[in-house]
Amino acid sequence: MGFSSFIVLLFLGGEIALFLIRKFSVPIDCFTFLVLLFNFAAVGVFAVFLSKMAIIVTQGYLVAIGMLVAYWFTLLPEWTTWVLLVALALYDLAAVLLPVGPLRLLVELAISRDEDIPALVYEARPVINHDQGSGEYEGQRRAWRRRRESGNDSESDHNIGTSDAEVTAPLIQNRVSSVVDGQESSVASTDNSFLEGIGLGSSGAIKLGLGDFIFYSVLVGRAAMYDFMTVYACYLAIIAGLGVTLMLLALYQQALPALPVSIAFGVLFYFLTRLLLEEFVVQCSLNLVMF
Amino acid sequence: MKKKVDFSHLSSSPSPESAIITVAAGIGYALLALGPSLALFVTVISKKPFLILTVLSSTLLWLVSLIVLSGFWRPFLPLNSAASWPFAVLIITSVAFQEGLRLLFWKVYKRLEDMLDAFADRVLKPRLYPTDKMLIALAGGLGHGAAHAVFFCLSVLTPAFGPATFFTDQCPKLPFFLVSSIIALAFATIHTFSMVIAFNGYSDGNKVDQLFVPVVHLVAGMVNYFCLSS
Repeated sequence: MGFSSFIVLLFLGGEIALFLIRKFSVPIDCFTFLVLLFNFAAVGVFAVFLSKMAIIVTQGYLVAIGMLVAYWFTLLPEWTTWVLLVALALYDLAAVLLPVGPLRLLVELAISRDEDIPALVYEARPVINHDQGSGEYEGQRRAWRRRRESGNDSESDHNIGTSDAEVTAPLIQNRVSSVVDGQESSVASTDNSFLEGIGLGSSGAIKLGLGDFIFYSVLVGRAAMYDFMTVYACYLAIIAGLGVTLMLLALYQQALPALPVSIAFGVLFYFLTRLLLEEFVVQCSLNLVMF
Repeated sequence: MKKKVDFSHLSSSPSPESAIITVAAGIGYALLALGPSLALFVTVISKKPFLILTVLSSTLLWLVSLIVLSGFWRPFLPLNSAASWPFAVLIITSVAFQEGLRLLFWKVYKRLEDMLDAFADRVLKPRLYPTDKMLIALAGGLGHGAAHAVFFCLSVLTPAFGPATFFTDQCPKLPFFLVSSIIALAFATIHTFSMVIAFNGYSDGNKVDQLFVPVVHLVAGMVNYFCLSS
């Protein structure tokens, strides 16, 4: 895993950096460039491997890896890309939900061994709300718990805080109750390992595999190669698909494939926009007829 | 394969200050259309995750309504720009459809509000305040307005980043992109606040408020049409 991310950052990142240097005529010599690139790739490997770094660095490097791989995937021909995306969505659906699916077996093995899933995963930690009065940074879990409690206590932000806490609560209801109730460690640890397996980390984070990011980016990149309108439409479609997937995750409480719903919406919206919407909107906006 | 947008019916000329009409102008037009919406987003909406979700879902809903409308009108396009009355029919049908969708949005919102209130009662927290309800309506309207600005203005703005510009027929001194951005800004404002007014009108049963919103939407659309036909 470390070697592959090193290769991605070094070679794929290096190629793109060379394109940019050539395009913008950046005055840099090859030795400095090599040193900088090697350092960039090495720090990336550590950020992805170790979890001791600041989360923003890890997230940044995961996004960079996703972007680099997606860029090179968009060099495929157009029909190949669309068929590949649909085929991967179907494979993802089968691999995670069928009892003989490889990904499902992997997740179950990881849960039974009480280990992290060995893959590049992107963890989206919840945002600490600074105006709630909890300025502590002792650890994401405790800050999250304290945020819930300060939402109960503080008088001034009562109406602002509660409608926020209560409407975000349903998605993470189970995790919060297992943390706040303060049960004995054995019960809490089995709850946590169960929740880890389904993608809700102990710090309230939602985990998304990097492969999903890459294929979302490939879809949007291929949409961008047509026109801007398709980009916006596909972006909204993917976000909607992700929202639906997260809701299903809260409903079913098991590891779900993130690709099928978003890719389905994305492909659908791309073709609808390209065939139907573009003529309509271009006609209207060029004649300055808006509604 | 990049789709070519057909600007041929506008009068095009390289503008005298062609060095300035560059990336700066393109960004300027984009910010002109979206600036107040962005300001509203950053100050009010980005503080609460639920409002961000509301903005995204209302943007998606507006996009879906636009796709349905374009699906309906596709056999009749491209419209002959010599005869301008088809545009009037287009505007009237589109506004009617979008106002109907606003009613649907209201019904979904009522159900959501009941669910949220029931949840609040369960965890012994206070129910939604009127301010919170108006914030949700504002977020919904902002989603519509931003989607309008993005799809009608930003998607044709790509040529504005180049060295020349297009001028409009009736006012040969105004760049086409400037007019498009200003109209997009006006419509974004209309969409944002008409959602608040409409939700207030529906919840209070105030007929004046309820009728005010579709009328304003229709008038704004028709004013655009009259500019075209003159």
